[in-house]
Amino acid sequence: MLNDHKKRIKEICDLMGEDFNAPSCREVLEHINQCPTCKVYYDTLKKTVLLCQENDCPEELPDEVNRRLMNLLNLRDFLNAPEK
Amino acid sequence: MNEKEIITLAKQGDKEALSKLVNKYSERIYNLALRILRNREEAEDVLQETFITVLEKLHSFDGRSSFFTWLYRIATNASLMRLRKKKLVYQQISDDPDFQESVESRVFVDWSQDPSVSLFDKEMKLKLDAAINKLSDIYRSVFILRDIEGLSIKETSAILNITEENVKIRLRRARQYLRDILSDYFEERVVSKYVK
Repeated sequence: MLNDHKKRIKEICDLMGEDFNAPSCREVLEHINQCPTCKVYYDTLKKTVLLCQENDCPEELPDEVNRRLMNLLNLRDFLNAPEK
Repeated sequence: MNEKEIITLAKQGDKEALSKLVNKYSERIYNLALRILRNREEAEDVLQETFITVLEKLHSFDGRSSFFTWLYRIATNASLMRLRKKKLVYQQISDDPDFQESVESRVFVDWSQDPSVSLFDKEMKLKLDAAINKLSDIYRSVFILRDIEGLSIKETSAILNITEENVKIRLRRARQYLRDILSDYFEERVVSKYVK
């Protein structure tokens, strides 16, 4: 049983972020829905990644940093706001 | 003009074409370096190093990989070189033996649905930042490229020049490590709530 959890948990980790509709994922997904231990593991793992993503705040390139970069590359004549 | 045409012109020394590439990717490169190094000054250094390398090596870019992959590889390597120079002591992430032990010895508590679990919890945010900081370069780079930047396993593998299987192994260990850190924190809270 524990070995089964261990195997499944590895599979859950590998498949997270992949396409769960793929046939190879179906079996793991069915297991998650039937096994409380793996369900908790999956939910908390998913929440962890979600929290990391929410915690990540991309910054706008500061004007000064952009200006120094363009100067360094001898491209000051083309100094524009970076494309998004 | 598509990117391939812009690159061809930039290779011929066309400054306007080069500036288009710089303007298109500079913010992404800055943020990638910032995510890996967590320091704005060093992120700027990596940004400059990356585009200096682009200037020097653009003639040898043969288009076998996409320009984005090539650029990201340069920036990731520059960031990782800096991270390694710091010689910080990272958390060792062992594979199977420790993991098996943790599966055997603990009852998983579901904190994922707890409404108090949010980034407004400053202590949790600090724990999360500290945990990511403790990830060694090989795990941090994979986790950032795949889970934060949202790149595919294939792209991550091409950027880091490692096999897709290796990406999956490193990603699995990084995710498990971060989950365990947060679980230690939240399980204690959830359990104490019910004990009271």
